[in-house]
Amino acid sequence: MITAYHRPNALEEALKLLSVPGAVPLGGGTLLSKPTADAIQAVDLQRLGLNTLVKSGNILHIGATLTLQTLLESEHCSDALKRALRLEAPLNIRNAATIAGTIVACDGRSPFVTALLAMDAKLEVVSASANKTETLTLGDILPLREQLRGKLITKVSAPLNANLAFDYLARTPSDSPIVCVALAGRSVGRTRMAVGGFGKCPTLAVDGNASDDLAAAARNAFHEATDEWASAEYRMDVAATLALRCKTQLTATRE
Amino acid sequence: MNITLTINFNVHEVECAPSETLLSVVRRLGYFGVKFGDEGGLSGADTVLLDGKPVNAGSMLAAQAQEHLIVTIEALGEHPDQGWKKTEGLSPLQQAFVESGAIQCGYCTPAQILAAQALLDTNLNPTEAQVREAISGVLCRCTGYIKPVQAVLKAAAVMRGEEPLAWETVNWERNAPDEPPFTAPENNLPMLNVIARPKVIVAPEAQTYQTVGKPEKKVDAVKLVQGKPAFTADIDARGMLYAKVLHSPHAHALIKKIDVSKAKALHGVAAVLTYHDLPRVVYSTAGQSDPIPGPLDSFSLDHKVRFVGDRVAFVAAETPAIAEQALALIEVEYEILPAILDLRKALDNPTIIHDEPEFVDFADSNKERNLAAEIRIDIGDVEKGFAEADQIFEAEYVVPKVQQVSIEPHVCLTYWDEDDRLVVRTSTQVPFHTRRMLAPILDLPVKRIRVVKPRIGGGFGGKQEMLIEDIPAHLTIATKRPVLYEYTREEEFSAARSRHPMRVKMKTGVKNDGTITANAMYALSDTGAYGCHALTVTGNTGHKSMALYVGDGTYRESPNIQFHADVVYTNTPPAGAFRGYGVPQGYWPLDRHMEKVARALDLDPIAFRLKNAIRPGEYHPFSTAWNEGREPRPEIVQTVGLEMCVAQGKAAIGWDTKSGNEEWRQNSGASHLRKGVGMAMVMQGTAIPYLDMGGASIKMNDDGSFNMLVGATDLGTGSDTVIAQMAAEVLGAPLEDIIAYSSDTDFTPFDKGAYASSTTYISGTAAVKAAQIVAERIKARAVDMFKAQGLNVESSDLQLSNRMVIEPSGQTIPFSEIALDSLHRSNQEQIMGVASHVSPVSPPPFAAQFAEVTVDTETGAVKVDKLIMAVDAGVIINPLTASGQVEGGMTQALGYAVCEEMRYDKSGRAIERDLDRYHIFRADEMPELETIFVETFEPSHPFGVKAVAEIPMNGVAPAVGNAIRDAIGVDVDVIPVTPERVWRAMKK
Repeated sequence: MITAYHRPNALEEALKLLSVPGAVPLGGGTLLSKPTADAIQAVDLQRLGLNTLVKSGNILHIGATLTLQTLLESEHCSDALKRALRLEAPLNIRNAATIAGTIVACDGRSPFVTALLAMDAKLEVVSASANKTETLTLGDILPLREQLRGKLITKVSAPLNANLAFDYLARTPSDSPIVCVALAGRSVGRTRMAVGGFGKCPTLAVDGNASDDLAAAARNAFHEATDEWASAEYRMDVAATLALRCKTQLTATRE
Repeated sequence: MNITLTINFNVHEVECAPSETLLSVVRRLGYFGVKFGDEGGLSGADTVLLDGKPVNAGSMLAAQAQEHLIVTIEALGEHPDQGWKKTEGLSPLQQAFVESGAIQCGYCTPAQILAAQALLDTNLNPTEAQVREAISGVLCRCTGYIKPVQAVLKAAAVMRGEEPLAWETVNWERNAPDEPPFTAPENNLPMLNVIARPKVIVAPEAQTYQTVGKPEKKVDAVKLVQGKPAFTADIDARGMLYAKVLHSPHAHALIKKIDVSKAKALHGVAAVLTYHDLPRVVYSTAGQSDPIPGPLDSFSLDHKVRFVGDRVAFVAAETPAIAEQALALIEVEYEILPAILDLRKALDNPTIIHDEPEFVDFADSNKERNLAAEIRIDIGDVEKGFAEADQIFEAEYVVPKVQQVSIEPHVCLTYWDEDDRLVVRTSTQVPFHTRRMLAPILDLPVKRIRVVKPRIGGGFGGKQEMLIEDIPAHLTIATKRPVLYEYTREEEFSAARSRHPMRVKMKTGVKNDGTITANAMYALSDTGAYGCHALTVTGNTGHKSMALYVGDGTYRESPNIQFHADVVYTNTPPAGAFRGYGVPQGYWPLDRHMEKVARALDLDPIAFRLKNAIRPGEYHPFSTAWNEGREPRPEIVQTVGLEMCVAQGKAAIGWDTKSGNEEWRQNSGASHLRKGVGMAMVMQGTAIPYLDMGGASIKMNDDGSFNMLVGATDLGTGSDTVIAQMAAEVLGAPLEDIIAYSSDTDFTPFDKGAYASSTTYISGTAAVKAAQIVAERIKARAVDMFKAQGLNVESSDLQLSNRMVIEPSGQTIPFSEIALDSLHRSNQEQIMGVASHVSPVSPPPFAAQFAEVTVDTETGAVKVDKLIMAVDAGVIINPLTASGQVEGGMTQALGYAVCEEMRYDKSGRAIERDLDRYHIFRADEMPELETIFVETFEPSHPFGVKAVAEIPMNGVAPAVGNAIRDAIGVDVDVIPVTPERVWRAMKK
């Protein structure tokens, strides 16, 4: 249960408030507003000016409190990323949910975070206690998100010099994916492929050369991926198919 | 904390808890157009505009909304005429929603309009896709989204300054029966345009009606489009408490000890009730006529729990949050018992779910065997028929448990009135049954209970139940205060009712020429922990599906049909009534089986079905053998429009150019995609003969208008409108002069409620009879008034039309003059008619359902591209509301076909507990939908009506399954047809 609500005016004030046990950053509120047994102090970030979107060279700097919909409407958002964003949540939720909040709260079925992972997104994180800024890769922090407690994501940076392809499988066109694949390919040949649709967070399946066997890597990523939505056997087969389709998309984009 | 909110440009200083949501605060402030739908924001019923963008008020804290502009539906237009004060009227969007038939239950309408408003504020020329995306955050379970999308497009046109389309003057696409079928468009027309309408082939008898058959606006549309406080929870009673229920965490357990002392001691808690506190009264929750055709096996609270989600204790407190805290303070010691979670293991299991001595059997229920009902229907001699067959086909099919998902959850408010009578304001389909059933549970006589049914935010059968009303009622008795109880969405999934899951075996004997010689179905049906609707739902699984195919030749005269079923108890949440009432469970196995048989015999599947289908003048085979546990009474089916439905549907989908066409199948733009078409034929029933009764009263007012009171329960279907249309037709009055009200057990005549596809047929006939009484009195008084003017006329010479009595020479007397004369001037009387109706027959509607799909041959994913339903529902009273029923029904059935499923983990806990995991179709992912009405004139109804509400549930799943077969040549026998199931079928 939320026992206190704060709306700090500056980052320093926010960090001080977040250093209190039980204090949690409040982005859009789409998840934090739900009832919980824990005593929570909500620190609303809306006055901190973190809802920015800046393209700097080949890097897109996305403010932590930018909403999913604002990103989707941006000229810098690729078609593949837009597709993943649309699948992440319906419009009302996209209008409120923030980039950082989605990263912190997502599970393995998140198409948007799967895409960010393929893009090799990096998080700028400020420590509440030491007031220290550090840069973490999304892939490193996703399985360890509890380490973000007491810290604040201020920015997400994603490189724009990679083409992105995205494909998914779901029961219906707008349903959460059972399998999704995001493939980011850079002109120099480096290829990152992330897979989602299962587990606690999306998984990086490939970070290497375009010549890698993407289908095999995608298949391997789902070896243990049986849950109530699909069997591992099925997911492995579909993931391999989607990986190859993403590769075809990328090739077509480059041509 | 104190916050300042700016809502609709009004500034409000509010005290609230830090945890209080914006939804809670805006409703506290009286903005009741913002509704609760779920906790996750996925229903979107709680939409407000925050700085012009649609967001979910239930998914943000009230404090977050400070320094932002909040707009609710109340900021848009209002009724144009408020006495001496004139207003600008409804907004263009509101007006378009009213005129387009975009409102059914109206619960999500304010949210849809706000979401659309946000779009039109920035884009007055949106595409259909943009409209669909704009409203994609608002789930609608009623409409199928076609008419809301049409409304937005129409409003955009109006706002662009284009000539407003006079909706009422549009020539509805109507054909006479002897005209050729409607043809499919030759090019890729947009799937929808502003004036898209259902097609109607008009019965000759219906050509002359003035009001019946017209696309009249719904009588409740104007209030719903404004978000008026029309629903159960939309009032604040002084001193109101909030109820919460402690639910069982175990699937099967005895409560050994329960300590509520800490909960009672919590500040703000008014009452905590356990089984120790309440009288032990056994009952059934099924909202059905007396005697309830099922076992009595439920208690308000019991010392035994039978599913995860079963009731353990009730709490009433000053706020919902305090009530939640109190639940956490209740200490319960359970003795865990073995649980039965698989229906195949229930029968004769040593674990007995109902071992209570109070259990009351009905018919062939047997608690010692975990058997809630046993059904054995034998028509003719199936063994003889099988012996005469050239080939016999057998297969097993599986249908899932699914949820009604009305966007308004179950909700009920109870309070004592000044006469110490208990008022129950509840979202129910069965107000009169609820009153009767509550009385013994509360130890009150029926006469001291008043049940009020306001507008209902969807029911779909889930509210044909006395499900929660006893909870606030007990708490009101305990506290003497008003108590509101509203289910959370999780409670809807874990503690409400659902569709019975079944495993169904088919065995069909056929001659090589396609004549069915015998047809047998066995259904193993899971009623869950309680037997509400167990017998009747599962009985209808066979009754209304297996009756369709009687065979041909001599078999047609004496069909061999068998339907056997066992309905078992398990330790899962109870099943109950759900639109279609068991029949969709029958058509997945039956029609898939017919498709397989036809293909195996190398026969045209459509011709095979029509060869064996029932025809006009034949006995409904089941009417000779079964009547929901009562005495069967044979009925002849008078009207069957199946052949015309097939012809229309085939033409609309382009069947002859697509079915079996390999070139077309591969023409999907990608090598891994294949297209397919499929169809299914279905029937349903219209009311329960000799049982379902509806009443109506109509009285004339001073100005010649009429109050019409009906006990019928409009749960968003538009029944108030179509009943009023029928009354208006008889009275010669415009619809706007019929003031319809439903329903209140103190004021409106009895009606059994909204179920069994009966309202238009039964309650409508009652209204027609009442109107005829009124019409006769009007004419009688007019005769005297004409005589006073020197005109000698007979009552039979007079016509009622356009608010007037017209005599043969053309002289008229306005209704207002008749009214003033009768109420004030001479031989004063209240012109009034009261009537009721019960039918000796249940005329079945028929339909041909068509589906077009694209299958991904590598992943098994199925995309349904198009659904077309050609329906014989008798004469269509209102094509707007009727087509809305078909569109919404097909959409609900589409979920049944491809994605909806309720499952449980090893401990019996529901896997699907929210609208994320339990996905229902959104506006931005819908296939093309089309409705064609093939009218027949049913002679047992004054306007030739049959039912339309439930039949759309029956054919979509098998049509999709058959289309998949057409596309890729494999059969899937389990729904929902998930990608993995298709993939596995392909791998075989």
